[in-house]
Amino acid sequence: MGNHWIVTGNFTESGAVAWRRADGTWSQRFVESGLLPDEQAAKRIADTANATEQREISDPYVIEVRADGSTLDPLSARERIRANGPTIPMRRPDSGLGRGKRG
Amino acid sequence: MYQYDDFDRRMITDRARQFRGQVERRLSGEITEDEFKHLRLKNGLYKQLHAYMMRVAVPYGLLSSTQVRKLAHIARVYDKGYAHLTTRQNVQYNWPRLVDVPNILDELASVEMHAVQTSGNCVRNISSDHFAGVAVDEIEDPRPYCEILRQWSTFHPEFSNLPRKFKIAVTGTPGDDRTAVRFHDIGLRIVANAQGEHGFEVIVGGGMGRTPVIGSVVRPFLPKRHLLSYCESILRVYNLYGRRDNKHKARIKILLVSLGVDEFRRRVEEDWEATRTPELELPDAEIARVSAFFAPPPYEKLPTSSDRLTALALGRDRELGNWVKNNVVRHKVPGYSAVVVSVKVPGIPPGDVSDTQLDAIADLADKYSFGHVCVTHTQNLVLADVKTSDLPQLHADLVALDLGKSNIGKLTDVITCPGLDYCDLANARSIPLSLEIAERFDRIDYLNDLGEVSIKISGCINACGHHHVGNIGILGIDKRGEEFYQLMLGGSPGNDASIGKILGAALPQNEIVDAVEKVLDRYLVVRESPEEKFLETVRRVGFEPFKQAVYGAAGTADAGGE
Repeated sequence: MGNHWIVTGNFTESGAVAWRRADGTWSQRFVESGLLPDEQAAKRIADTANATEQREISDPYVIEVRADGSTLDPLSARERIRANGPTIPMRRPDSGLGRGKRG
Repeated sequence: MYQYDDFDRRMITDRARQFRGQVERRLSGEITEDEFKHLRLKNGLYKQLHAYMMRVAVPYGLLSSTQVRKLAHIARVYDKGYAHLTTRQNVQYNWPRLVDVPNILDELASVEMHAVQTSGNCVRNISSDHFAGVAVDEIEDPRPYCEILRQWSTFHPEFSNLPRKFKIAVTGTPGDDRTAVRFHDIGLRIVANAQGEHGFEVIVGGGMGRTPVIGSVVRPFLPKRHLLSYCESILRVYNLYGRRDNKHKARIKILLVSLGVDEFRRRVEEDWEATRTPELELPDAEIARVSAFFAPPPYEKLPTSSDRLTALALGRDRELGNWVKNNVVRHKVPGYSAVVVSVKVPGIPPGDVSDTQLDAIADLADKYSFGHVCVTHTQNLVLADVKTSDLPQLHADLVALDLGKSNIGKLTDVITCPGLDYCDLANARSIPLSLEIAERFDRIDYLNDLGEVSIKISGCINACGHHHVGNIGILGIDKRGEEFYQLMLGGSPGNDASIGKILGAALPQNEIVDAVEKVLDRYLVVRESPEEKFLETVRRVGFEPFKQAVYGAAGTADAGGE
């Protein structure tokens, strides 16, 4: 399918990453992003969202993705991490408390 | 530690109430994100890759056990169960919801905390020595001056919109700087003059970021009573002449370099002579009033414990011995020691502490250290007043918390910025490198053999991970959307301040830790003796042996960096 564009931003209330679906609603799931074949059209949608959907979405913008069958892959490392979350453990394993290793 | 008066309390609760209204207006759509952004930044609320990030101010890193418990509570109730220690002695939460932030500010205000001066173009949280008040080599406790500067700078109307952010550090140990005082916008070093009077050596224009500069001495000795008026003149000159047309040229270091230190000094002195008034003089009584908040705790009269420390360090329990050797520091009061709690544990992002650990640390502070904890800029914690006789039990307690690592000042005590896993500014990830280093080199005999060597990692040129002053510095860069890393050698933040230099061409992520290992292996070969530290070896032999180790003989010719 080649390269496409999708519109993303952050939900204002939670700060969570937001992905614009094809029907114009917003999702926290990257895989639900609506693919747009035209970068300029995608930018116009982002600008419109910025003007009219401020209450729900902050700072919408456009990213480029590679769409291959059922897989969707952002081209930049930054957007891959935004799509998939941090690549590291997100909190200390408290299950280890009380039996921590010495040394 | 400092206790709020009614004015402090009112100021902070008012600020929290105001922000609640601002958040309500943002969520109702009454104000736009552009209008809201500068309001949230004034309350330490950033927007990062995955969520908002809230930075809580910890003035000079000092926390009471009550405050630590509150931080644990906030992590548990409003975030994902952990907090992150920053490289400016603050605490960050990576996942707060905007709708919860007003409640978090109320919670903080209830224990005399807030999030002002942690963002924006103002005087930021003032940092200091994490051994302040207990250091053997300290000539005077710097914290009262940090507190006086904090009160002076908070909401100072003239300096609420500086060309760029402004960072101040104060150290009371001129012989062994632990605050990177020469890498601050203003660095204040308490010194004694020929008459034995204490004052400040005033250093200006240091900084890291995209243009690393070692600060210049603008005044070798400033009497204490002039601290505020002189700092005010420095800030006024900066406010007047600092560049506002280019964010990347707006820090005071750029102004100082462009004017030259002599002209900069002339302008400061001229302003100072014209503007200093008696109201800005710091009377001895005020210094004494603030200093009283930092009076020594009720120490017991104990015999000296240096023999006991030596015995513990050399004892049969090698894990305890290594911990005493690496994590315990001599204290100015006989029978006591200062303990650095390592928050650098394999498998865990550096500086991340869970709510449960925070609660437990508060308990340990109450049990062993007069209820106080200090956050270090190296992303660890200090219990500053521990009886030497309590060290074995404290070590056992920390081990049970998974906080008993014996690696302070060693290779795996890595300073690491959040990098591209969290940060909106980053070009590359930092934490995965740190985790790989912690995993690969987690051998205490190897760490002890290497001795004192620091690694500092930043995910972008803003240098929150202090890569410029790492003995080994790693800087993440973006190459056509992919993460690459520059390796630097020779940096130091201390009295022998130096800025690291790039060793060669940037390396991909899967090669950078191998390159670090090659550098270390070469150091072990070329050092003159086990006593010669890594930095000393680099300064003595230069870069060539390390370039050959990393890039091979063929790679040295064109290994000139990006």
